[in-house]
Amino acid sequence: MRPGLISFVAALAMALPGTGLAAAVGDIVLDSRSVSMGKAGVGPVVYPHALHEKLYKCAACHPKIFKEKAGATEMSMKLNMDGKLCGSPNCHNSEKAFPLYNCVKCHTKAGAK
Amino acid sequence: MNASSFRKLKVALLCSLVAVIGYTFAGTVADAAQTKRQQPPASGKETPQQQIDPNDPSSVIYLDSAGKPAGIGDPNKPASEASRRHGWHPQALSAAGLPKDRYGLVDWAKLVRQNIISPKHSLDPGEEEAPPLKMDVVIPAKGDFVDDVIYPHEMHTYWLKSDVCHPQIFVPARGANEMTMVGIVKGDWCGRCHGKVAFPLTDCTKCHSAPKNKASKK
Ligand code: HEC
Ligand code: HEC
Ligand code: HEC
Ligand code: HEC
Repeated sequence: MRPGLISFVAALAMALPGTGLAAAVGDIVLDSRSVSMGKAGVGPVVYPHALHEKLYKCAACHPKIFKEKAGATEMSMKLNMDGKLCGSPNCHNSEKAFPLYNCVKCHTKAGAK
Repeated sequence: MNASSFRKLKVALLCSLVAVIGYTFAGTVADAAQTKRQQPPASGKETPQQQIDPNDPSSVIYLDSAGKPAGIGDPNKPASEASRRHGWHPQALSAAGLPKDRYGLVDWAKLVRQNIISPKHSLDPGEEEAPPLKMDVVIPAKGDFVDDVIYPHEMHTYWLKSDVCHPQIFVPARGANEMTMVGIVKGDWCGRCHGKVAFPLTDCTKCHSAPKNKASKK
């Protein structure tokens, strides 16, 4: 997803405060490990929070797996591969969701070089 | 209680009933959507809709996730396609009690290590078996955290001749191959085989098995 679109989503979220929907959290950009990502040739992760809200209850993730504040949870690909965070056993490390090797689905600019 | 407040109560009750039903219905729809999204499991615990039942003990056909006989896949398709193609082991294989990996797939490498099978690297009976090459190559993974890759020549030379890989897939010199994980997923380098004929890429830690220096453990 392009940054333009992200800011559009953010602007939309700001322009329509409390439209009654529970989906108050839009896309979250996760790039705390941007140095490592740069070395590996992948861009920041754009996390579609709203989509996950539709699929799961809040308590499935908060606070057990993720802190309820953007950027507060320590994340890395290694942790994902070790079966934590996105790679939790019932999530992107299982048949329930696309697998971790689909880099391009989570990372922007993956493989662009 | 007077009549009007009773009516209000009734309306309120009706509303909450509608809300509850609506919620349940939405839940079911969401659940259904979720089930639809589910990728077929590698373990074969669940059965897809198909004519040939993989749980049929007499079935010896290896099925793909679409329920068609596997092994007719297009080798030119990217390895990521394998996510939708995790086949079911035919019952005959499953029931044989072969060792499985943590995704429920038969662990062929373990079978070799345990001397249960001894693969040949050529069908040609005149071909001489080369001795296995006992050489692990550490391929450092780019980035600061992900564990490095250990490439075990030995396990591969049990199954394959060296000219399967050298020099077409890999230049036989350390660090001379510009590998990337994205490329592997697209079917280059290790992805020529892994996800197609060898254990799938889902199993990250089978390759990424050499911890980076302790300082950056996270
Ligand atoms: C599938 C997992 C998942 C579910 C379900 C989920 N969240 Fe989140 N949520 C996350 C992640 C991941 C983050 C980012 C955390 C971080 O960056 O450390 C987050 C962040 C947040 C944030 C902080 C946003 C910000 O900008 O700081 C809020 C608020 C939040 N979630 C509320 C909710 C609510 C309310 C629900 C239920 C409707 C919910 N979440 C359901 C995964 C989830
Ligand atoms: C399910 C989503 C998801 C998928 C799929 C995914 N990543 Fe990540 N990746 C993340 C998240 C989340 C982070 C941490 C983001 C942050 O806070 O910096 C991350 C971080 C990283 C990092 C930096 C941290 C580290 O451990 O070095 C690299 C490099 C990386 N990913 C590479 C990849 C590659 C290569 C692939 C494909 C094999 C991939 N990722 C697939 C979600 C994903
Ligand atoms: C020409 C095909 C081919 C290529 C290319 C290939 N492999 Fe393999 N690999 C196999 C086969 C076949 C096996 C044994 C069957 C299995 O484990 O699924 C195997 C097994 C392995 C094992 C398991 C060893 C064990 O003892 O459990 C590892 C690790 C591995 N490969 C890593 C790699 C890496 C890393 C690359 C890329 C640098 C790579 N392979 C490229 C075919 C290949
Ligand atoms: C068949 C072996 C194999 C498997 C399985 C495997 N990798 Fe890799 N991975 C490699 C090799 C080889 C490299 C290349 C090392 C390098 O130059 O960075 C690599 C590199 C990486 C890198 C460094 C960035 C890059 O693109 O080079 C990341 C991140 C990564 N892999 C993540 C994953 C994840 C996540 C999984 C599981 C979904 C996974 N790998 C499964 C062999 C494998």
